[in-house]
Amino acid sequence: MKRRKRMLADLDEDIRDHLERETQDNIDRGMSPEDARHAALRKFGNVARVKEETWAVWNPVWLEQLFQDIRFGVRTSLRSPGLTLAALTAIALGIGINVGIFSVLNGLALRLLPVPRAQELLSVNQILHFQGRGDRSIHNDSSWFSYSEYLDYRDHNHVFDGLVAYEPFVEATLRGSDMRQVMGTAASCNYFSVLIEHPALGRGFVDSDCASRGANAVVVVSDDLWRGRFAADPSLVGKEIVLNRTAYTVIGIARPGFTGTEPIPSAFWVPVTMQPALEGGRDRLSNDNMSWLAMLGRTRPGVTMQEVRADLGVIAGRLDQRHTGPKRTTSLALHAATFFSSPEQRSTLIPVASVVLAAFALVLLISCANVANLLLARASVRQREIALRLSMGAGRWRLVRQLLTESLLLSLAGGALGSLIAFWSFTRIMRLVTSHLPSGFPPIAVNVAPNLQVLVYALALSLFTGIAFGLFPALRSSRPDLNTAIKGDGTQFGAGRKSGRLLLDLLVGSQVAVCMVLLLAAGLLLRGLYQAQTVDPGFEIKGVATIFMYLGRQGYDQTRATQFMRGFRERIQDLPGVTAVAQAECAPLSHDFSAGQFTVPGHSGTVQIEYNHISPDYFSLLGIPIVRGRSFRPDEAHDAPGIIVTESTARRLWPGQDPLGKALREDSGREYFVIGVTKDAQVAHLGQLDTNYLYFPVGPEDDSRSYVLVRYEIGFTDVAKSIRDSAQSIDPDVSVDVGRLEDYLEVWRAPSRIVAALSGALGALALLLCSIGVYGMVSYSVSRSVRDIGIRMALGADGAQVMRHVLWQAMRPVLIGGIVGVVLCAAVSGVLSSMMFGLGTHDPIAFVSVPLFLLAVAFVATFIPGRRAMRVDPMVALRCE
Amino acid sequence: MSTKEQSERVELLQGTLDLLILRTLQLGPMHGHAIAKAIEFRSDEVLQVEQGSLYPALHRLIKRRWISAEEGTSENNRRAKFYALTAKGRRQLAVETSKWGKLAQAIAQILQPGEQEEA
Repeated sequence: MKRRKRMLADLDEDIRDHLERETQDNIDRGMSPEDARHAALRKFGNVARVKEETWAVWNPVWLEQLFQDIRFGVRTSLRSPGLTLAALTAIALGIGINVGIFSVLNGLALRLLPVPRAQELLSVNQILHFQGRGDRSIHNDSSWFSYSEYLDYRDHNHVFDGLVAYEPFVEATLRGSDMRQVMGTAASCNYFSVLIEHPALGRGFVDSDCASRGANAVVVVSDDLWRGRFAADPSLVGKEIVLNRTAYTVIGIARPGFTGTEPIPSAFWVPVTMQPALEGGRDRLSNDNMSWLAMLGRTRPGVTMQEVRADLGVIAGRLDQRHTGPKRTTSLALHAATFFSSPEQRSTLIPVASVVLAAFALVLLISCANVANLLLARASVRQREIALRLSMGAGRWRLVRQLLTESLLLSLAGGALGSLIAFWSFTRIMRLVTSHLPSGFPPIAVNVAPNLQVLVYALALSLFTGIAFGLFPALRSSRPDLNTAIKGDGTQFGAGRKSGRLLLDLLVGSQVAVCMVLLLAAGLLLRGLYQAQTVDPGFEIKGVATIFMYLGRQGYDQTRATQFMRGFRERIQDLPGVTAVAQAECAPLSHDFSAGQFTVPGHSGTVQIEYNHISPDYFSLLGIPIVRGRSFRPDEAHDAPGIIVTESTARRLWPGQDPLGKALREDSGREYFVIGVTKDAQVAHLGQLDTNYLYFPVGPEDDSRSYVLVRYEIGFTDVAKSIRDSAQSIDPDVSVDVGRLEDYLEVWRAPSRIVAALSGALGALALLLCSIGVYGMVSYSVSRSVRDIGIRMALGADGAQVMRHVLWQAMRPVLIGGIVGVVLCAAVSGVLSSMMFGLGTHDPIAFVSVPLFLLAVAFVATFIPGRRAMRVDPMVALRCE
Repeated sequence: MSTKEQSERVELLQGTLDLLILRTLQLGPMHGHAIAKAIEFRSDEVLQVEQGSLYPALHRLIKRRWISAEEGTSENNRRAKFYALTAKGRRQLAVETSKWGKLAQAIAQILQPGEQEEA
């Protein structure tokens, strides 16, 4: 501030001037010059104090003291570099990992859409309440709108500069050499102009593109698709591409980085009026009672949320009145437009996010407990300094403030360090995770780069942490018993009292417990991963290609599908290198399940049995042996009464009896008879052998959606190519998805691998923090009782006794915390095992090895300072401090 | 330097110095020494102002923008800093004066023996 500088600069001169005038006045009254000067000074008062007080007018005292405290804090921290480093590491890790996780959540749910002026965009959703039974059709999300509803909102609102609607996740087959499936969007024709997303090449949609239904086959393709499939050919604009059998003229290439308004990137955009053509004749446009369009509105400048709500509410009310059928009321949900803004998406994301944040907050909690311990330890060393300052009249609040400044310094430095590490590493971690997702997972576009929200979160977390771990030691150490503290009797200070000891033990115990939970969870997950990697699914998984054919979605009716499948199977049967071909409703481990309710005649109640429709050579192709009876014959189809069950199913349904010829009744009343029994195999759920399972013969009904399994003896790429070729020699427009059966195994293993890796890292972190904490606590308690130990030794206690004492003191809270941790984790593991493949609820190896490991660490942390305590010379100890 | 007996001089009440400075500056811009002299003179030298305490007070008033400081030349042709009342300060003076009046009246009422007490 300029004023302040100028005023203070002139102060010295002003005072000198003042004194000279006063002296002159005095001389005029007849004093000697010397007396006059003295009198003037006397009348003026203490010059130094006047300057100081004037200075204080411009520089608030607290600010000055803050600078003092900071300087002092930095000096103190640098004086014990080891402790400072340990505290910094703990805080950096704790805050860093939380900030990292938050930045992922931020990228998912809080970040505004990556379009210009995104803060003006609102996601509009509706929740329909019906009186009685609702009759609404839903596609993708129940809070979305029908086309006619969209037109109503678009044309009658007074609050938006523009309102767009789009149907995301539309799958389409792009005709070309490899007939790839791509995911795109059917969007209203103001989509690009309202979002201010002008394509990099060509143009976006204009109103006339949507003027009449099904008439304007134009498409904007994404930058990714343009580069990946069309080699970034600039002359693509104006050419035609074929999506789901319709030719579209490319009118534009989207800006690089614009992947649509959903977390799953869109590869193309077509006018919403092309929807029926794009989706094989399913006309959603004319269904006025279907939720399928997401809406985004750009609000007019100066319009408030209340005005938007009121204005749209009028339209919603009108729509409710016009609605025929059960009486309905609409409530609108408006949110800033992010990737997850519909109520349905929020309701899934929020609980998951809170669980994840809570788990990571535990790590931060350990960090805080640690640093509180370390600071307490340091405070005990500084007790004399503090006591001296208190006895000389320093205010307690002033001392607390100084100690808090020190801890805030630590937490801010640690937080800054941790955040930097997090920003640097989490983009890489995200890339690693997304690149290791199995091929079946859709790619997700999440921007985890830090923005203002993340920075504010990091700052708030650092401040909170600094106060959380600093306040307790600060309050505690600023209230010592002055007498004993100055005399240097360490055992009487602060934590030496009974309540203090208890609190300290509580800190250590709870941190061991929390650490134990994290470590045990990590241990369980790692064991689960190991099992997932080594499990034998019970059939020959190598050398099998799977082809998923959903002909029903590619414009086939059942007759044509059956015709196609017959020809297709014949052709690949004759391919070189192919030894067997089978067809099934669900490929093994493909996450496709069917299940039904059956009754066993003579028994009451129903049993749930999973089933599959298979062709006869299914068992021989997969190497699953038939242990009794026979497999199906080629002429058996859905109408045949024979079924095949697995060994364990037979054992459960007909214990101790011959299953052949036994009957099972379907819900519909139809009866089936067992004609064969197979060995158990994990065909449906990896890691579960005890599922009830039976097989029906495949029939023509399956042809519009089924898997073809091919056993081959040559390279996979060759087989895949010749399989695709033979499919396209029957129908050049058919999309064929050839994969390896082994890849399905990957899908089962991937979640446990990712989770195990993350939780393993988290557990290692917890262990590191916990070790620092236990070590710090123990060395603190040993250093505190050096005098005590000295007296014991002087009185003739032997080393072993002292050691036992020290060990017992330190290990007690660790043991109690450990037991609590194991109990907590036993509760948690039940939840975990239901989510992840291969986890036993009470895996003995994890439950024994992890606590032992932690105990060993605690023991070492105790033993080393304990030995130091034992070697203390009694005389030194008694004289110490 | 003092013409009155020490015992007759009165220490200033806390916070009243500001008011006195404002009132003094109502006469026109002055430098620091002149303000001190004026306060002494106008109170018949009853009020004891430790002259140094004037400066923190002046700076406090400047910071509140009730007075301003300007470079100028004094009567004997020396450079000096002149303090002058601002418009804001003038308004503040009115407020403070009426407050002081009320305070003085209230205190006087308490200190002077009332009629009820006599009865």
